[in-house]
Amino acid sequence: MTVEDWAAGATIGGRPVPASPDLARMRVERRQRLQQQLEAQGIDGLLLLGSSAVAYATGATAPGEESPRAGLFRAVAVVVRGDETPHLFTAFPDGAPPDVPADHLHPPLFPELDDGIEAMGAALAEMLPTGSRVGVDEQTHPMRRAVGGYDWSDAGAVMGPCKVAKTPDELACIRNAQRINELAMQDAQSVLRPGVRQSDLSAVYLRRIFELGATTNGIDPIWQVMAPTRDANPWTLHGDLAYPTPTTDRFLREGDVIWVDAGISFAGYASDYGRTWLTGHDPVPTPRQQAQFTRWRAVIDAVLAICEPGATALELCSAAVAANGGERPWIEHFYLAHGVGTDSAEMPLLGTDLGDSFDETLVLAPGMVLVLEPIVWDEGAAGYRAEDIVAVTDDGWVALSGDRYDPFGVAP
Amino acid sequence: MSPEREDGVRTGLMALEDGGRVDFTRLRAERRRLFEGMGSAGLDALILGRSANVRYAAGARQLWRAGTSPFAPMCVMVAATGRVHLLSVWDEGVPPEISRQELYGLFWNPGNLLQALAAIPGLPQAERVGTDSLTPMFAQLLPSVVRPAELEDAGPVLRAARARKTEDEIACLTVAAALAEAGLTALEVALEPGVTERQLVGVYHEAMSRLGTPAVPSDSVAFATPRHGPVSFRHLATERPVGIGEMVVLSPGALYAGYEAGLARTRVAGGSPPDDAQALAGRAGRALAALVAACRPGSTGADLRRAWEETGEPLPPVPLAHGMGIGPEPPVVGWGRGGDAVLEEGNVLSVQAWVSAEGTGGHLERELVLVGAEGPEVLTRSRRGLG
Repeated sequence: MTVEDWAAGATIGGRPVPASPDLARMRVERRQRLQQQLEAQGIDGLLLLGSSAVAYATGATAPGEESPRAGLFRAVAVVVRGDETPHLFTAFPDGAPPDVPADHLHPPLFPELDDGIEAMGAALAEMLPTGSRVGVDEQTHPMRRAVGGYDWSDAGAVMGPCKVAKTPDELACIRNAQRINELAMQDAQSVLRPGVRQSDLSAVYLRRIFELGATTNGIDPIWQVMAPTRDANPWTLHGDLAYPTPTTDRFLREGDVIWVDAGISFAGYASDYGRTWLTGHDPVPTPRQQAQFTRWRAVIDAVLAICEPGATALELCSAAVAANGGERPWIEHFYLAHGVGTDSAEMPLLGTDLGDSFDETLVLAPGMVLVLEPIVWDEGAAGYRAEDIVAVTDDGWVALSGDRYDPFGVAP
Repeated sequence: MSPEREDGVRTGLMALEDGGRVDFTRLRAERRRLFEGMGSAGLDALILGRSANVRYAAGARQLWRAGTSPFAPMCVMVAATGRVHLLSVWDEGVPPEISRQELYGLFWNPGNLLQALAAIPGLPQAERVGTDSLTPMFAQLLPSVVRPAELEDAGPVLRAARARKTEDEIACLTVAAALAEAGLTALEVALEPGVTERQLVGVYHEAMSRLGTPAVPSDSVAFATPRHGPVSFRHLATERPVGIGEMVVLSPGALYAGYEAGLARTRVAGGSPPDDAQALAGRAGRALAALVAACRPGSTGADLRRAWEETGEPLPPVPLAHGMGIGPEPPVVGWGRGGDAVLEEGNVLSVQAWVSAEGTGGHLERELVLVGAEGPEVLTRSRRGLG
């Protein structure tokens, strides 16, 4: 797929964001970042079990799999300080990138099983002598019994700083993922009529993402019908809205307000698509619904007006609240914005229960990605929710999402 | 009224007003055997993070996500109260036996999560606490809300409860098998020279969604094997158009109420199958039959491997078999593992045979097999051979 020169000269650290990603360069730069962090923190290596961490460290692809299957057949990565090439242990050798040579590509390890766990200890001992300081992201009980003799620490301390600000190629991957996601959602929206089921929309969408080049689907696409009042929506612990709830074969009916949410992965990078749709043959928002959208847009505009390197999460959150008449425009259990990368929701997180003191210390920097997902709730008439993605650039921001807000309005 | 299970249709989604389907209340009640396992193991509480274990313990609908999630306390079982507590902000999709008071919230601040856990009746008093995994962060934090400094392995208790399927679990697996077979039909219809693997993956997803079950176990459902040069088992779909006469592996799976079934067949794209493809199909069929025949109570993984080796086929680069239930389960028989695992009545296995020949292609057959008292019962149905 050809991607337009969407970034229009935006730079990250003085480097332009390319129209399409150079995947080989991206892997090299990620591995360099990992090495720099290992060096800086005095960590000898990493033992990674999480699929997004393995994807980041190695560039390996695995089939999209439901969590229980992905867990048992998980790939494992070992990163050794001083060796820029990671070791990959995988059941899916056809997903290994070309720059992981044969002597770094190994059979799978099954860290969930006692059966054969000694192979994991033996493999690790060949790469990292016992006594080494090793960052790890998950410790299964078989590992805790059989893989010993290391000074363990949380791999997040190394991965976090590497992942939080993206390279230009990573941004191009996210843009590409988002573009595929947007095109497939347009096809899904085009079949939305009264009598169509939620799962029918999934059918159109899921077929299309693979035709368009998605590596995997990321999440059960959400087509949640929002009742007009809080009470008519599912009960929640905090009294705020329940969202997102899983898709079923529920029929969609005339006038239903649907908050859609979907995400795919392209070359390991997640997209995140959110919009509000109306069910009808040629739906037109009521003036009240249009006003919800206008308010939502005002929240986004207020945030983007101050979105630049040096701004704090607290400043962005305060601007969003002010633009929504003093009321917090996001759901209690979520946030104003989250980052996206090899995880569908990762740092930076803005407006969570980590609190103002956390948000005050979270300072925007070039390469950070913000999935802005404010909600304007209008008790009695449901509300408007959508997600727009921007990357912080050297002098402001660049949009990574670009879809229209049909049937509410035009492109951002 | 409670569904009757003794007669009538056993497989289907929502078409019947009553009768003949899965008794979900009984299904969940029987999964409370997990509490008995805790009792035998002397565990006072379990803190679960693996989605399959959470599904088993709580029975709540979960949002499908691709990939692994790090361990986090998603579900807590307390022996003293006999209650199951679940991380869920809402009660929609949560079974009625878990009350609203037994739900706790989603937090980004670990301190808030720990506070919610500390409020679970009986958890702070538990002397022995098991988890199904740990992260460095939770290994450090959880001992601040439970008494023991060392968290134990809940794995054996969970595996023992999950391995032996109840009648209702088998019914769920059979529905999933029927869904997977429908996926196979859609793939067979779409398979023709010129179609790409990627398009086949799209067709599969569309078909499963149309059936009302958009969440699937895996995207790895189709790969073509070449008629020239080395043949490798592949997992990731490519853009390459399928060539005339190529043997194409179709391996759809499906989920029903969390339970996974899958099967694989190999079909030839266009025209009638050449003789060498027929011969390869025959080899795969014989190897699979040998594996299936070994799926009896008391058999070990080593017996399965021996049955395979007696066919004279080289060991494949994929497991010969693995357990199935709420997703794949131990044992994994392959990659040098699983030899000591002993099969018991009520186990369900995914069993597969992969054979290949340079100049011909590759052939995969996979079935879902119930280890029955009288011998193996194959739960998946579809024309074997080249179809």
